[in-house]
Amino acid sequence: MKLTRRDRTILFAPLVVLLGGWLVLPALLGLFATFTTYSPFTTAFRFSGFANYAGVIRDPQFGAAIRNIGVFTAVAVPLELAVGFGIAYVLRRPIKGRALWRVLLLAPWLVSPIAAGVMWHFLFGGATGILDFAFGWLGLPDVASPVGDVRLALPTAIAVEVWRVAPFVTFLLLPGLVSIPNERWEEATLAGASWFQQIRHVAIPELRTLLFTVAMLLIGLAFGTFDTILILTGGGPGTATLTPALFSYGRAFQTNDWPAGAASGWLIAAGVIAVGVVYLRLARERLDT
Amino acid sequence: MTRVILLLAALAAFLVPLVWTVLASFGLLPDNSTTPPSWKGSFTLGHFAEIGVAEPTFWQELATSTASAVCAAALTVGVAFLGAYGLARSTFRAGRTLTQGFLVLASLPAMAYIIPLSDVMRRVHLVDTFSGVVLAEAAVTAPLAVFVLHGALANLSPEWEEAALLDGAGLFRVLGRIVFPLVGPSVAATAIVLFVIDWNMLLVPLVLTSGEIKTIPVGMSDFFTFERELDWPTAAAALVVSLTPLGLLVAVFHRLLERFRLDLQNGRDIG
Repeated sequence: MKLTRRDRTILFAPLVVLLGGWLVLPALLGLFATFTTYSPFTTAFRFSGFANYAGVIRDPQFGAAIRNIGVFTAVAVPLELAVGFGIAYVLRRPIKGRALWRVLLLAPWLVSPIAAGVMWHFLFGGATGILDFAFGWLGLPDVASPVGDVRLALPTAIAVEVWRVAPFVTFLLLPGLVSIPNERWEEATLAGASWFQQIRHVAIPELRTLLFTVAMLLIGLAFGTFDTILILTGGGPGTATLTPALFSYGRAFQTNDWPAGAASGWLIAAGVIAVGVVYLRLARERLDT
Repeated sequence: MTRVILLLAALAAFLVPLVWTVLASFGLLPDNSTTPPSWKGSFTLGHFAEIGVAEPTFWQELATSTASAVCAAALTVGVAFLGAYGLARSTFRAGRTLTQGFLVLASLPAMAYIIPLSDVMRRVHLVDTFSGVVLAEAAVTAPLAVFVLHGALANLSPEWEEAALLDGAGLFRVLGRIVFPLVGPSVAATAIVLFVIDWNMLLVPLVLTSGEIKTIPVGMSDFFTFERELDWPTAAAALVVSLTPLGLLVAVFHRLLERFRLDLQNGRDIG
């Protein structure tokens, strides 16, 4: 149908104002400011080229943060996808009480990252924690909280994030799985396909675009990891769980090194945009065929 | 049978930590000093009363969280609905890439632009205001809402709208009488998901306020940042209180939530 120019203005103006004023414009102003010595705490500023970025990239703390988030993303995102997909696949066919299963299995996603940090902080703790309780029953000695251990802190943070996010993946994938036409499954069954072959040759091809979409969201979420870590480990011990977002926040709001905070924030954006460009390519190929 | 066992295993992994927290909030705690560990404490509602003692502003925070999440979700859905409809009924060539671009924007972590945003908000005196938090939360979640609602709207055949236009109906009449009733469930599902995201959001209210306006996640993070004493049962009670509204919302509207879909961009019918 034909939209008039007036219709278009009415439809797009609120979105342009909201996204422009509160997202795009601040982001671009911020980008400009990262090439200067600008800081809201000082009045004079001058052009400084790439000095802020060079400073951030040379900062060993930021280097550690990049390594951590690389491991975090590479492990957490595939796990979230696999666990989330697995549960959705089991729930695909009608099962007694499916609605109840669905609601109960979504519960961890309703816990805010901050609340999850508080909760697991205590559950990993000694006196009333779940870990020592389980170890005690197994006849094993008490363990120190894994979030205080340099080697275990990052895997633990990943586990907590997978616990929280995998249910959301199930929630996003299930409607797509359910709407795959029955004939596709029947053909596969007649051809004698095992459950693994059914996933490989029916579910994944049918859900390709949706899986890309969910993966894009999860990668963005992982790159920006902040709230979960803030309470659970605060980035420690040392820099074992420091993330670029924690680094950025700390520089801008705690040590008042505004240019470093803003520049590292833009480096996070650059990472997500790079993944986004790949996603847009894949989505276009998929739509053209 | 295998499926039930698999589901029970997933349920245990997902829910045991939450059940542990609920038990603690009612005063039922494990005793790890005995061998094997045992349980101690008796059922009490006292820890819920202690929340207000440990964090005097907690109930105020609960009200702020609710009000800001409701306003932000409503604003986002309204603005995104109009924009998504415009996109779905426009014929420019870059439309599809633009829609997928909204998904990339939805994936962009708030940390990427919150630092300059906080500076801009301070300059326009929107720091520490309710509307400042609502507008920023609305902007953060708008791209996801546009993407989801565009999917629902693109699947709608435009015939009805065209017929109404020929009868002389204006844009708002078409939207209100024809389009909205058809995609109402998708709009409602989107609003509920956005409410959950807004309710749980930390970074936006943390950076755009300095104590005047406080949501529950900000209150919780304050507690631990300043390392005040907080009993586990009291913390558990606060967690349970902050989780209950979301749990009820999802339990009541679970059928509706099936309409929150990310995979309708290719024109597959709503199942």
